[in-house]
Amino acid sequence: MLRIAIIGCGKVADQHVGAIHRIPSCRIVSVCDRELLMAKQLCERFHISECFSDVQEMLQSTHPQVVHITTPPQSHFQLAKQCLEFGSHVYLEKPFTVTAEEAEELIEFAERRGLKMTAGHNYQFTLEMLEMRRLAKAGFLGGKPVHLESYWSYDLGDISYVGPVLGNPAHWVRRLPGQLFHNIISHGLAKLVEFLDDELTEIIVTAHQSSQLRLLGAKEVLDELRVLIRDKSDTTALFCFSTQVKNLNQLRIYGPSGSITADIIAGTVVRKENRAYKSYLTYFLPPLKDAREYLRNASVNVINFVRQRLHQDFGMKELIQRFYQSIQGETPVPVPYREIILTARLMDQIFAQIYTDNEAQECHNEVNRVHSDGRLPVARGGITDRTRRSASS
Amino acid sequence: MTLKYIVSPADRILVTGSSGFIGVKVVEILLEYGFANLGCFIRPSSRLDRLKERLEQCPSGKNVELIKGDLLSRDDCRKAAEGVSLVLHLAAGMEKSFAGAFMNSALATRNLMDAFLEYGQPKRFVNVSSFAVYSTLNLKRGAILDETCPLEEAPQERCDAYGFGKLKQEELVKQYGERDEMPYVIVRPGVVFGPGKRDLSGRVGIDTFGIFMHLGGSNHLPLTFVDNCAEAIVLAGLTPGINAETFNVVDDESLTSRQFLRAYRKKTGRFSISIPYPVTCALCLLWDKYAKWSNYQLPAVFNRRRCSAEWKGNRYSNRKLRELLRWQPRISMDKAMEAFLGQFEAKSR
Repeated sequence: MLRIAIIGCGKVADQHVGAIHRIPSCRIVSVCDRELLMAKQLCERFHISECFSDVQEMLQSTHPQVVHITTPPQSHFQLAKQCLEFGSHVYLEKPFTVTAEEAEELIEFAERRGLKMTAGHNYQFTLEMLEMRRLAKAGFLGGKPVHLESYWSYDLGDISYVGPVLGNPAHWVRRLPGQLFHNIISHGLAKLVEFLDDELTEIIVTAHQSSQLRLLGAKEVLDELRVLIRDKSDTTALFCFSTQVKNLNQLRIYGPSGSITADIIAGTVVRKENRAYKSYLTYFLPPLKDAREYLRNASVNVINFVRQRLHQDFGMKELIQRFYQSIQGETPVPVPYREIILTARLMDQIFAQIYTDNEAQECHNEVNRVHSDGRLPVARGGITDRTRRSASS
Repeated sequence: MTLKYIVSPADRILVTGSSGFIGVKVVEILLEYGFANLGCFIRPSSRLDRLKERLEQCPSGKNVELIKGDLLSRDDCRKAAEGVSLVLHLAAGMEKSFAGAFMNSALATRNLMDAFLEYGQPKRFVNVSSFAVYSTLNLKRGAILDETCPLEEAPQERCDAYGFGKLKQEELVKQYGERDEMPYVIVRPGVVFGPGKRDLSGRVGIDTFGIFMHLGGSNHLPLTFVDNCAEAIVLAGLTPGINAETFNVVDDESLTSRQFLRAYRKKTGRFSISIPYPVTCALCLLWDKYAKWSNYQLPAVFNRRRCSAEWKGNRYSNRKLRELLRWQPRISMDKAMEAFLGQFEAKSR
């Protein structure tokens, strides 16, 4: 029976508790939040016996084997290190750390101590992503991907989240070097990184503020991001984060002989063979094949619903379960460290391109600055300046 | 005139949630009563058009101070509570998550009460709660729901994050009242309606898949028009001799869910389907059972506790409000409905 603890008792902690409760052979022994009242409310609702406001006290009193850290990212590095020093394995919510340097240091530290870590890239473990991975491994693409596309939309209409972020320049999201992007894009980038080489030879980034966000205020926050990436073996990738495109959360992989589209919102995995049809058949057969694919997906989803596999947090439960299995069975961690670090490096490079060094530093130190002339302080002047290119080593 | 109140016009009054649906009216009524030393606490992201418009309309409105901040910040609470004698605490967390609701209702209230006790000159803390805190599970259909009715014991099971936040908020207020001798009053409004709020209460029914399902049948609704409710809150803050009391706020005249929906449909032309209570009850039970059986593949948003609280059908009393606060609705139900329906354009058919 694995002994689990949770640090940070906000909204995400609820999802963790819900998922952990569906995993056999583990028990939540304690929770901790610097606001003891927050810890208490979680304990009370989920019948957890011990709650704390001090991390060290919690570790020493309840000896958890695994600690889930669901606090704002700025505290991840220090808290994770504290738990690793104590000897607990660590599940860190996304974004793993604020910088790639911190991510590398943490992973190295964990490995030195023979402990395991994972990042909260739970969307990598949804039913669609598992099926896509299976197809890719089975050779459906016909070789290494030629091109990848990851789309991630975020609805600003959910004012309960974005309202406090936009209204408060001191909000922890606003203090991140990548602000709104920093807290969200790791899900979409991690999907790409899985299929890219370690060495990224080209990264082109463009970012701007949508008219909707402009109306909501917060002049210095950007919410539209496009990234074009090329790796050493010339696989290219496009990442699109948008608050204006609604309900789009997809990964598309194009290989030499076939392509796969995994749609996380519709729960579909659509296969497409790269083949030509004679004459007018090209207008009839491909649409019919697509229709068959969607029908198959609908049937699979119905079967999964009947079999009780269609939980909305399936990905999180799957990731947590695989992480626990890796701890108990000495199997590899579910999210390879290479992917965690590469995602963090990619984020660093993206933010370095859209935010000037000085301005990024300001995000850390002083964020309540709003320009009276309405220009975007995080971007360099005009649109061309915000579109920059870099080669990474 | 002011001698009959616990505060004088010179005393500082803080109104949280002052840019909200009820908050704007509360400020307006306070100004009307002659209390102009007001601090209006607002979130930085709040829309201020309605509040500013009302302040501009009132000559003493120009003295009102707008305080931008976050109740989760102790510093902001301190700034707001300095020198304050009376707090009318209307700010509420509307988050769908339990943690979010708790944070924005209970934790924010804790911060505000701490600041009030330390930096204010506490004469009263009025906590605006909600009917969502009541449980009618063991109350018969048609029985009267008043301030003595039991509170919800399992908000998690009811899947009601808002109610959970409000219950915990009330618990904290009572705790501060007992432990720190903070003078307080709790106000629980029923269904507050009026121009500026277009959505129908869940007690009437639910809007799903483009169809409005009428679940309230001929139940009486605990309606209170926004002006009437705001005046009750103001009186709860001013009236002497009511420390630690709780008041339900409903208007004198009530409408049934069917009457309310009929008037709404006549104005908007919306289509609705009526579901009888026994059917609603059976569907909620089935949903609840399936949610548990499937390990919450479907969240248990429909369940027996919610069914009972929202659609069982009770009657409501405002006797205590009338007797202790000498409150009476300033707007009749006819006029209130006229004002509420006036915000919808006539149906195009």
